[in-house]
Amino acid sequence: MENRLMMFLVIGTEAIFFLSLIFAFVYFAFEPGYDNHTWQLLNIKSTGIFSVLLFASSFTFWRAEKSYKKGEVKRLKRWLFATIGLGTVFLFGQGREYWSLLHEDLTISKNNFGTSFYTLTGFHGLHVFIGLVILAIVLKLAAAGDFDEPDSSVINTVGIYWHFVDVVWLVVFTVVYVLPGVLL
Amino acid sequence: MGKLHIPEPEEALPGVELEDNQGLLQWISSVDHKQIGIMYLWMALFFMLLGGLGALLMRVQLAVPRNDLLSPEIYNQVFTMHGTTMIFLVATPAILGFSVYLSPLMIGANDMAFPRLNAFSFWIALCGGFLLYFSFLAGGAPDAGWFNYAPLNQRPYSPSPGIDYYCIGLLLAGSGTVATAVNLIVTVLKLRVPSMSLRELPVFVWMVLINSFLILAAFPSLNAALAMLLLDRQLQAHFFDIAGGGSSLLWQHLFWLFGHPEVYILILPAFGILSEVFQVFSRKPIFGYAFIVGSGMAIALLAFGVWIHHMFATGLGITVNGFFSASSLLIGIPTGVKIFSWLGTMWGGSLRFTTAMLFATAFLVEFTIGGLSGVSFAIVPIDWQLTDTYYVVAHLHYVFVGGSLFGLLAGLFYWFPKMSGKIIPEKQGKWFFWLFVIGFNMTFLIQHALGVLGMPRRVYTYPDLPNYTWMNMLSTAGAFIMGFSVLYLGFIIYKSIKSGKKAPDDPWNAYTLEWLTTSPPQLQNFKEVPPVKSFRPLRDLKQDNPNWQLQDDPWKID
Amino acid sequence: MILVLTHINTIFLSLSIFQPASSQADHIATLTNYFIVAAAFILLVVTGLLIYVILRFKAKPGDAEPRQVRRNKKVEAVMIGVPFLMVAGFFIYTINVMQEVHPPAGNQVPDVIVTGHQWWWEASYPGTGAVTANEIHLPVHKKVLLQFSSSDVIHDWWVPELGPKMDMMPGRKTHLWLTINEPGVYEGACSEFCGEQHAWMRIRVVAQRQDEYERWLQQKSQPAQEPQHPLALKGEAIFNLATCGNCHTIRGTAAQGQSGPDLTHFASRTEMLAGMMPTTEDNLRDWLTDPQQVKPGAHMPRFIFEQDSINALVAYISGLK
Repeated sequence: MENRLMMFLVIGTEAIFFLSLIFAFVYFAFEPGYDNHTWQLLNIKSTGIFSVLLFASSFTFWRAEKSYKKGEVKRLKRWLFATIGLGTVFLFGQGREYWSLLHEDLTISKNNFGTSFYTLTGFHGLHVFIGLVILAIVLKLAAAGDFDEPDSSVINTVGIYWHFVDVVWLVVFTVVYVLPGVLL
Repeated sequence: MGKLHIPEPEEALPGVELEDNQGLLQWISSVDHKQIGIMYLWMALFFMLLGGLGALLMRVQLAVPRNDLLSPEIYNQVFTMHGTTMIFLVATPAILGFSVYLSPLMIGANDMAFPRLNAFSFWIALCGGFLLYFSFLAGGAPDAGWFNYAPLNQRPYSPSPGIDYYCIGLLLAGSGTVATAVNLIVTVLKLRVPSMSLRELPVFVWMVLINSFLILAAFPSLNAALAMLLLDRQLQAHFFDIAGGGSSLLWQHLFWLFGHPEVYILILPAFGILSEVFQVFSRKPIFGYAFIVGSGMAIALLAFGVWIHHMFATGLGITVNGFFSASSLLIGIPTGVKIFSWLGTMWGGSLRFTTAMLFATAFLVEFTIGGLSGVSFAIVPIDWQLTDTYYVVAHLHYVFVGGSLFGLLAGLFYWFPKMSGKIIPEKQGKWFFWLFVIGFNMTFLIQHALGVLGMPRRVYTYPDLPNYTWMNMLSTAGAFIMGFSVLYLGFIIYKSIKSGKKAPDDPWNAYTLEWLTTSPPQLQNFKEVPPVKSFRPLRDLKQDNPNWQLQDDPWKID
Repeated sequence: MILVLTHINTIFLSLSIFQPASSQADHIATLTNYFIVAAAFILLVVTGLLIYVILRFKAKPGDAEPRQVRRNKKVEAVMIGVPFLMVAGFFIYTINVMQEVHPPAGNQVPDVIVTGHQWWWEASYPGTGAVTANEIHLPVHKKVLLQFSSSDVIHDWWVPELGPKMDMMPGRKTHLWLTINEPGVYEGACSEFCGEQHAWMRIRVVAQRQDEYERWLQQKSQPAQEPQHPLALKGEAIFNLATCGNCHTIRGTAAQGQSGPDLTHFASRTEMLAGMMPTTEDNLRDWLTDPQQVKPGAHMPRFIFEQDSINALVAYISGLK
């Protein structure tokens, strides 16, 4: 129980961190220096597909947790593996997107859109990466037999973090990719 | 009801096999909350000497008009480091030190929920502090003030690496603080003696709990702002650089969204300490327990709705200013409630003026002054006259010193026998008290007048205008009395630890569980704890056992 | 006691927020006075109660444990009720004064545009050619609109006797209304920390009767006087040769720089370097010899001039009345 409470507190404070970054992004959208043209460089479709894969990883993790509660360690490992796979593909997608944007000459120092875009999505990517490291450790521990008994709160705790990272992306995707097209 | 056995989380205590006297190694490797708490307090004292040295340098420079002892370049680094040090490396660690040391003891636990995380938080905060000071050797300390306004914090205006060190140092220290807050909340909510309900939490622990939530909500916006600033300075991003499309107001919003709650973060635990001290030395329960706790929560909630009162002079509209004026005025009410609750606690009591109680009593006056001058900043037009002047300098020192530090010093004298097992002779404590109070008021009371007379803050010198010189000289003289008194405090602490009289377990005939342990407590705080029936469990225990042997009271009234 | 109070009174009647010289400052001073009365009342209640409590309830030998009172609803109601009423009163008053002192500027053309620079003030008067620095002339008995911005970091306008301060921000415009009551010279200073020489960024507001003000404005709209003396003529040549005109403007000459103060009428200002020292030939000479020695950090570079070049420059510049 202590682990779970701890993780809820951590994601609470992390949520405010992301809110601050989102606040900066939205703030700049209403500043004179904002240039909607740069926003159009974003490829909503391809990022949307990678986003769906990230959201799918929440589902696979949920399955992993279910399997663990039922004591099916083999399945647990399989679903964990799938989660890590999906998360990695998402990061790959983000890297691909950065690559193409850099080729379009959109860098972090290009304008205030570039600045807040790379910072916000970059910090989210960092959180995905941290999540992947944690998941890899959990998978290794599972392989080592640490989760043969269904009485540990570790997997549940890691899950809170992983779902949080997905929810953050849902908000970031909406604010960064969708809303400017609708509102501005 | 029988006594409860308290399990020692032995696997969480790798230091447990160590013998008692392993010297420094035992401290460095420790995950014991008591040792970590004490290390936080040493850290605070160490940086207080550094920050105090900075303060004295500033006061020497300002003693006479047009002084050229310090160049403006150095002066700006000194005042920036003074503010940053006192807020982040003195007040915060001192608050955390007391919180980490006392919270488990007061709720009948043997350690924090995550002892290793606790140690990590301390060391990373200390690292952050050293990194900040390393900037002096790396080409220049930060020089844009502790709130580091944009765009002055950008490379073209501050080319030395000082502000980069500021960002990284504070990110590290801040992460440590957040981790400790998480740890404290889990500890208080999960590790209490089962019979202790939240209504029976000692007031100090309540304040720690509220405070920890405040930390979790406030620090992320600072961390975000620091990360953005670092990106600006290192990767030429444009968050705060105006030419590139950034905004100078964005920094102010993010910083004060953290900065104003931070003020309450530094005062709430002090309120908790004072509540304990007032109870024990008045021999009465706190007056209006629910009010004290409730007003603490009210302050914590309102803290996030007042940040714009730091920005009244930035030309925001009347509606925005009016809204934040109202919220800032309102936050005065729960603070006032507390003052009267403490007066109510003293009323009808049997007051014993130990050094701790003297600091608590003086606090009531000093903090009222600081609180009232604070209200004047909620009144927008007065703020337009007085913000960013020496009146603010006076105000914030009455709040941070007259408020937080007086509370912390009350706590230091109250818990010193428990923490060290030694006694500070009352006579020495009282000498320190009077020196400090006189020095403090002499330094800062006059600064209200300097502000009213038009002296802006953060100036390295000033022209010889009427009254400026004698007022500044008086302030400088007071600062030296304060400086001397702090050295004296260091001396009496050292002497008492070295060769003081041994302290009894419960010297003050106190009310809370920490006094049930030996002085100092064993590595395992408790083997068993009596059932808790109120927020004064130790008093209940004494009442239920008429034969309770009060140890010899070294400060009994004569 | 009365002696002490009178003395304190005289202190605050010299250059302070309690010596209001504009209707805006008047409003604020009245509000401040009410606040001081209320604050003093609260402070007296707290200290009075505290002293009473200390004297009355100090422990005596043989005291039994006092009665364990936990709360008192009546006291609690007063504790919240009274401050709430006070706060509500001050809030309404605050809104009133705010509307009096700082109404929106609308589309009105400002009388003066003041731009903050590290570390001096540029003042230009729209509709006239007048541009000056640090000493800002304003008419009395007229509600004038000042528009503020900054060319670099945040600065802040504050002249205590004239009332509210206002930030000057890069990329943003702010404004201030002033209705000055009496002719006179009012001193102020930059009140937002703006870097190395924040201390020497002082303001002098010279308030004049309308006719005098207009005469001043007329005179300051003129281009610079042609130098007569041969030394001054030599100075002008050196001024142009040494690229001084890249940063400074002297209207009527080739010097059209924008980043330093306008020097067209430099010598008619009583102080130089934003209030740091009086405008004298000696100070000017020191400054031209080594700016970083006089005002460390200032953005004026050090030119290595011969001594007689400096004398020529001083003769030229101090003739720019």
